[in-house]
Amino acid sequence: MTRMKSKWLILFMVFSLFLVACGGGSDEAVEEVEAVEEPAETLDSPATTAAAAEPEADPMGICLVLDIGGLGDLSFNDLAYAGYEKAVADFGMNGTFLEPDGGGENRGELLELCAEAGNDLIIGNGFLFDASMNEVAPKFPDTNFAITDGVAEPGNVRGMLFNHAEGSFLAGVAAALKTQTNNVGFLGGVDFPLIHEFEQGFIAGVQAVNPDIVIQIGYATVAPDFGGFNDQVKGKEIALAQYEAGADIIYHAAGGTGTGMFEAAKEVSESTGSKVWGIGVDFDQYYQVGNALPELQEYILSSMVKAVDVSIYNAAKATMEGTFTGGASVDNLATGGIYLSYSGGYIDDIKDTIESYKEKIMSGEIVPPSARP
Amino acid sequence: MKKIFKTLSNRYIVFMPVLLVLVVAQVETYSQLTTSGTFGAAVRLAIPILLAGLGGLYSEKTGVVNIGLEGMMIMGTWFGAWGGYTFGAWQGVFIGMLGGALFGLIHAIATVSFQVDHIVSGVAINILAAGVARFLNVIAFKDVQYASSTASPRIQGDIEIFTMPFLAGGKIGESETFNLLGTIENLDIFLLSDISAFFLGFLSNISYLTLFALALVPVSVLVLWFTPLGLQMRSVGEYPAGSESLGVNVYLMKYIGVTISGALAGLAGSYLVVAGTGTYLEGQTGGRGFIGLASMLFGNYKPFGVLMGSGLFGFADALQLRSPQAVHGLLIVISIFLLILTFKTFFEKKYKVSILSFLFSAAFLLWFMNSTSIPNQFVYFTPHITTLIVLSFANQRIKLPEKIGVPYKKGEIN
Repeated sequence: MTRMKSKWLILFMVFSLFLVACGGGSDEAVEEVEAVEEPAETLDSPATTAAAAEPEADPMGICLVLDIGGLGDLSFNDLAYAGYEKAVADFGMNGTFLEPDGGGENRGELLELCAEAGNDLIIGNGFLFDASMNEVAPKFPDTNFAITDGVAEPGNVRGMLFNHAEGSFLAGVAAALKTQTNNVGFLGGVDFPLIHEFEQGFIAGVQAVNPDIVIQIGYATVAPDFGGFNDQVKGKEIALAQYEAGADIIYHAAGGTGTGMFEAAKEVSESTGSKVWGIGVDFDQYYQVGNALPELQEYILSSMVKAVDVSIYNAAKATMEGTFTGGASVDNLATGGIYLSYSGGYIDDIKDTIESYKEKIMSGEIVPPSARP
Repeated sequence: MKKIFKTLSNRYIVFMPVLLVLVVAQVETYSQLTTSGTFGAAVRLAIPILLAGLGGLYSEKTGVVNIGLEGMMIMGTWFGAWGGYTFGAWQGVFIGMLGGALFGLIHAIATVSFQVDHIVSGVAINILAAGVARFLNVIAFKDVQYASSTASPRIQGDIEIFTMPFLAGGKIGESETFNLLGTIENLDIFLLSDISAFFLGFLSNISYLTLFALALVPVSVLVLWFTPLGLQMRSVGEYPAGSESLGVNVYLMKYIGVTISGALAGLAGSYLVVAGTGTYLEGQTGGRGFIGLASMLFGNYKPFGVLMGSGLFGFADALQLRSPQAVHGLLIVISIFLLILTFKTFFEKKYKVSILSFLFSAAFLLWFMNSTSIPNQFVYFTPHITTLIVLSFANQRIKLPEKIGVPYKKGEIN
């Protein structure tokens, strides 16, 4: 009996391991298809074929590794993918994109996989890649690496940083000017310093307009649990609580979790009859969320846009032209890498005030705090 | 005096914190402890755990340990999303149940027919399910917009939401009705408002799927304790050799139990998708299957016990999400509860325990007095800590099925 037992056991385990392997490996299967498809697309569109030089014998390779949440978060990762897609199309690059597993434990392996495949530019989308970058980049000194929202020590890594506090300050100004209840909310994905930049900038912006406004703050998870960037259920519950407690505008910095906030806005608006709003982040979510989930579009007041796509595109461009440099670069309101979107036209009436605050920030008169006091 | 404390037996002392919470909730800062919003959120967060716990119950009553609940739940999320995307919300729920049942069946084949160790098979199921879900997602949604290897597209349609007319202000046709419970809640009367809020949480803006899930609790009691099938299933878990000698088909009963278990875990998973996010997301079960297993132990293998266990977890989870300030109020609840325990154990002449709980009581009181909030890291673990504390106090007398985890071979006498 025991022999039979162990035989079955081994069979079972082998089978499960096989399937797990398939699950992980299947990315590559899709990616290869993707890589073949992309150049075909460029041939179809005359605009891009004009931009792309005569295809060389060996096209440049670009590899994008997304972070937790993966494609379809309608936020951070989708935005990075948009930049990558544009670079692949415009420069005729060989594109590969990978997504880590649920907990994101295999970031290092994915970076290494990309590098070994001979890609020229490898992008890790998210600050969590910093440790893996430090480990992998030195092994491939001739390859360009880039990391979003973080910095890494090796010289061949470009750290693409953003001044979130400046953009969040403007989001705070908009919220303070638009609130009817003198009560606004902030929904953070994960409680840790990067998201505190958004939080502090937002608070400063609200208080610059009216220090008496109540600001509610909620976080989905606490580091090191980064699941809070991809938990719509929690996002919705936190947002519901804040709306119930009187907030009529909530600003989120929570990636995919934010979709839950917009759903809460819809639910509360419909059940109470008075409209409440959400402010999006990273992408211009009026379009991004609005296209995927049209019923939520009318609750998106504005978005604090962080042009990760442009940074990635620029990194790809520099790689093509051979001008890629490592080290940190910061995008802010002045460089245009950060801005507040007017899509939907809901905040057009306060545009002048927002622009005047923007001028003050750019001139250095106001410096939004980026860390908790 | 002695008598009074004796009546506060382990069984009833569990209810003391409830009363304490009610009292603390009267303070403005901690009012979120008993609002209808908190209870509503608690219900939504508790249902997946409840369903997983009920699933565990069916399996373990027939003597099969089911640590693969989490994996079956993952199958429920994916199949639920796939069914929901392809056919519609309710169909998605059904297909999610089938997906879970399929993995239940695999567990049954392994453990019952081939006598694989229950834990090993369960762990294998969990690993297998995670891989299968991603594998299927990549294959099924390869060319679909807004889908990726870790997320599915949004399901079609939604499950309708129900609000009780008259009691909670639901609509009959187009006309609005009076919101009795909501009105009482807003009056802020001690106890009465809190109780109204409690029922309002169950009766307003509640998904029909939630009602269906709650109905499964009494149904499970009926099936397991008041039908011949249930008797046979339970007997198989207690004494399979004896059952077989009386003509019960032991294997069949175990197969039924484990498959139902899988179906309920699958329902738990599809609930997360259909009534929650609307999409399958990798890792969205987040260990709820294991917490379901814990709530089953908490409930001492009784459906209503599972309901209480999952409710407690859901409540603590809702509280930490909605109001970190209110969690601070729980400190004083713990402190007073420990003080009561101090007296109880003192009269039972368990002096060591008594002194220990007194010291802890004092520590919590000091913490409460000298702070206005709890660090976020602690707040975040509130559900887990609460469950742990209550579990360690409440259940020293868990009644396991006699032959749980023991492989049974037909014709064996043991």
